[in-house]
Amino acid sequence: MRKSLIIIIIMLFFQLYGCSHDMNRREIDEINLIHVMGIDYKEGEYVLTAIYSSSQGADPEKGSEGDEEVSEGRGSTPFEAFQNLKLKNKKSVSIANTGYFLIGEDAAKKNIEKCIDFLSRDETVKMESLIFVTQGSEASYFISEGIEKGQIVHEDLEAVEQKQQELVTRNDNTLVNILNEIENITTGVIIPYLKAEENSFLLGGYAVFDNLSLVDYLDLDTSAGINIIKNIIRAYPIYLDDDVALSLSYSKSRIKSELDNEQVKVVIHVDFETMVKEVNVNEDIFRNEALNNITEMQNDYIINIMKKATNYSTSSGRDILQIARLVQNQHTKKWSEIEGEWDNMISDIQYEFDVKSKVTKSFILGVGSGGFE
Amino acid sequence: MVGTHYESINRDYIKRLYKEIKRRADMENRINSAWLKKLFEKSNDIVVRPIKINQNNITVHLFCVDGLINQALFDEAVFRSLKFDPYLAQCKTERETMDYLLEGGAYHVFTIEEADYQLLVKYVLSGMVALIFDSEEKAIVYDIRMFEKRSIQEPSEENVMKGSKESFIEVLRMNTALIRRRIRSEYLVIELLTAGRLSKTDIALVYLSNIANTNTVNKIRSIINSIDIDNVSTPAFIEEYLIENRHSIFPQIMYTQRPDRVSANLTDGRVALLVDGIPFAYILPCQLPMLMQSPDDYANHFLIGSSLRIIRYMSMILTLFLPAFYIAATTYQSQMLPVQLALSTQAAKQNVPFSSASEVLGLLISFEIIIEAGLRLPKAVGTAMSILGGLVVGQSAVTANLVSPAVVVIVALAGIAGFIMPNQDLSSGIRLIRFIMAVLAAVVGFFGLTAGVILLITHLCSLDNYNTAYISPFVDVEKRNIKDTIFRFPVKYFKKRPKDVTGNKQFKQ
Repeated sequence: MRKSLIIIIIMLFFQLYGCSHDMNRREIDEINLIHVMGIDYKEGEYVLTAIYSSSQGADPEKGSEGDEEVSEGRGSTPFEAFQNLKLKNKKSVSIANTGYFLIGEDAAKKNIEKCIDFLSRDETVKMESLIFVTQGSEASYFISEGIEKGQIVHEDLEAVEQKQQELVTRNDNTLVNILNEIENITTGVIIPYLKAEENSFLLGGYAVFDNLSLVDYLDLDTSAGINIIKNIIRAYPIYLDDDVALSLSYSKSRIKSELDNEQVKVVIHVDFETMVKEVNVNEDIFRNEALNNITEMQNDYIINIMKKATNYSTSSGRDILQIARLVQNQHTKKWSEIEGEWDNMISDIQYEFDVKSKVTKSFILGVGSGGFE
Repeated sequence: MVGTHYESINRDYIKRLYKEIKRRADMENRINSAWLKKLFEKSNDIVVRPIKINQNNITVHLFCVDGLINQALFDEAVFRSLKFDPYLAQCKTERETMDYLLEGGAYHVFTIEEADYQLLVKYVLSGMVALIFDSEEKAIVYDIRMFEKRSIQEPSEENVMKGSKESFIEVLRMNTALIRRRIRSEYLVIELLTAGRLSKTDIALVYLSNIANTNTVNKIRSIINSIDIDNVSTPAFIEEYLIENRHSIFPQIMYTQRPDRVSANLTDGRVALLVDGIPFAYILPCQLPMLMQSPDDYANHFLIGSSLRIIRYMSMILTLFLPAFYIAATTYQSQMLPVQLALSTQAAKQNVPFSSASEVLGLLISFEIIIEAGLRLPKAVGTAMSILGGLVVGQSAVTANLVSPAVVVIVALAGIAGFIMPNQDLSSGIRLIRFIMAVLAAVVGFFGLTAGVILLITHLCSLDNYNTAYISPFVDVEKRNIKDTIFRFPVKYFKKRPKDVTGNKQFKQ
């Protein structure tokens, strides 16, 4: 009994202590919950564009969210711009429920770390929020154009996220992941970029950062090569000379590094499976000979895609495949000796590919090839 | 001289007074028809009536309570033999008559000689019939009780699809018979105890002497013997004495209407208590997992039983914390909600003038009012009121922007989940704790909710019931009894009894 009493008193003390401080008590309807935030750099200052739901058009019985409203804040730093955004709003503003951060091209070119540093210091922000770069334009343009065209921006971004999940097994463009990559100075940062289409957003490849500034955009094949090497690819189409199309359904990659006299050799083993999706020839492709031929061709196809990624890395000298982390883990002792020279070594990395594959689940409904007989 | 005279008068007076008190006390403790007549002269239902039993001028007195005896059996077993038994006519003294009746002359199997006045009164007031033999200061007691009683019916609270349909009734002897019918073991002990100075309520202490923990049995027996109240009118009177932690809201005695459940617990080493006039059996020691079990779990396939239990535990968590979680999430830490849920909650709360805490607490109180009103009303009106209270008022409140639809859903879900508990005492306790959690969340959000959870767990861990941890086997070092808690393993795995309940007699088969 006495113990319980002591515990109750201690808990009461903590509670009163909590009450006396700012517990941030605010009803959910008194806050503008930002769904999407754009971060831009224009005219020498940072501009934050926030989308939130307004009460207009909301149906309490149906729980519909109401119309999207846009608000803008400006400042010499992103945080200053956020404070400006807060001041301009009638209600208090929260980024606790922001699912997507769009970084404009100029802001990305300026410095990615500066753009997201204030987010990392906000205790309410969701660390799983996704970050995208808007290719060729400002994030605010993406948002305003989208709203003008009648798009619901956060729903379109949800669709993009779903598409991304169809292609890869995990999203590496979460806030927490990108913060980690930024922290690791030897690793090149890559973030997916978005392209504005007529009535939607389109997921492009990866935007490449050097010294935390946007330097390049990779095409889809090169980006897929990165995903295969990083072992996060879920699905990818393979087109073999307009005759047969396959879809990568399973892939597993293992990377080994060898370090010899400051020469890094990386061996990439990939096992993958594909399914036949389209056959435009009259011959029976499911004969052993033909299947072996297809298997070889798809191996070459995947190797070529991976080569695009490795070639880009070696030619640009940017560690977009995170080989530094691999070498550090596999050769801990030697890493300290070469760490300082790593930037110069990236271009000299030798890549070897060991690819094995098989064609599975052909889904043949009739006899024969399934071609145009 | 005068002083000495007064002293001698006083001494005589005190002596006479002492003798009179002693005479009365002796009289009160002797079995005597005249005294009984005087004692019950104002009670219309008490019969003290002389019966001349043969030609030898032996008169016995009938002592019984009208309305509690079986009249037909009385005529057959008592009256007929007294009047027409030829052998009885040959008895010359009261002693001879008594001996003849006790040795088979009485046409009734349950016949005993009683010399204890207190016991005699108790027997007769419980419905037996006594023949008073004044010169012997003894009585012969016939157990020919019969009073209006319910027949054995289906359990109203613990009905199952598959399994026994019998439940206890208000008659103690019938209830003990229901248990005895299920456990035909020579080790089954049914001890008869009494509580209540005036009510003298019979309480049966039931246990298996070769399995039950002797310390527990002794402790329960001594508690019942020490109960000093006038009347055992409601179950709570006994419960409060048997509970070791009276300040806890959690039920520490399991009650059941089902004899099969009692027998199962007896074979696990627990002790049962049956109280005359109460159609339940109490089972001790009680642990929280027992209160989450239902006879249905064992009547079904073990996977179905396990899934039912998981749902029950989930419901307990849901009913305890859902309203509090909603308050904390919508008032303090909205980041806890997924984006879409936060947005739809925000939209639902638009135009509602009250805070989330007021909405939830208000609706919870309304919910309790509807339940309480539903209990008091007749069944037909109760259904109509449920529709009016639940649907009409709920819908109107949403339309009038008094509460948001999300809160209605939250409170309804928490309310319904609370009624999944098989034990109503546990259900009521959890409903009260739900309020405390909601208030804590309203004051300091998730901090308060966390503090509440810590306090709740601390309290549960501190509960000890007849040397058994209340939340055992969750806190036990040995995990073997976990097989019958959240999951219901196949019966073949139930090889051992709970160690803390049975002591060393752990192996079942």
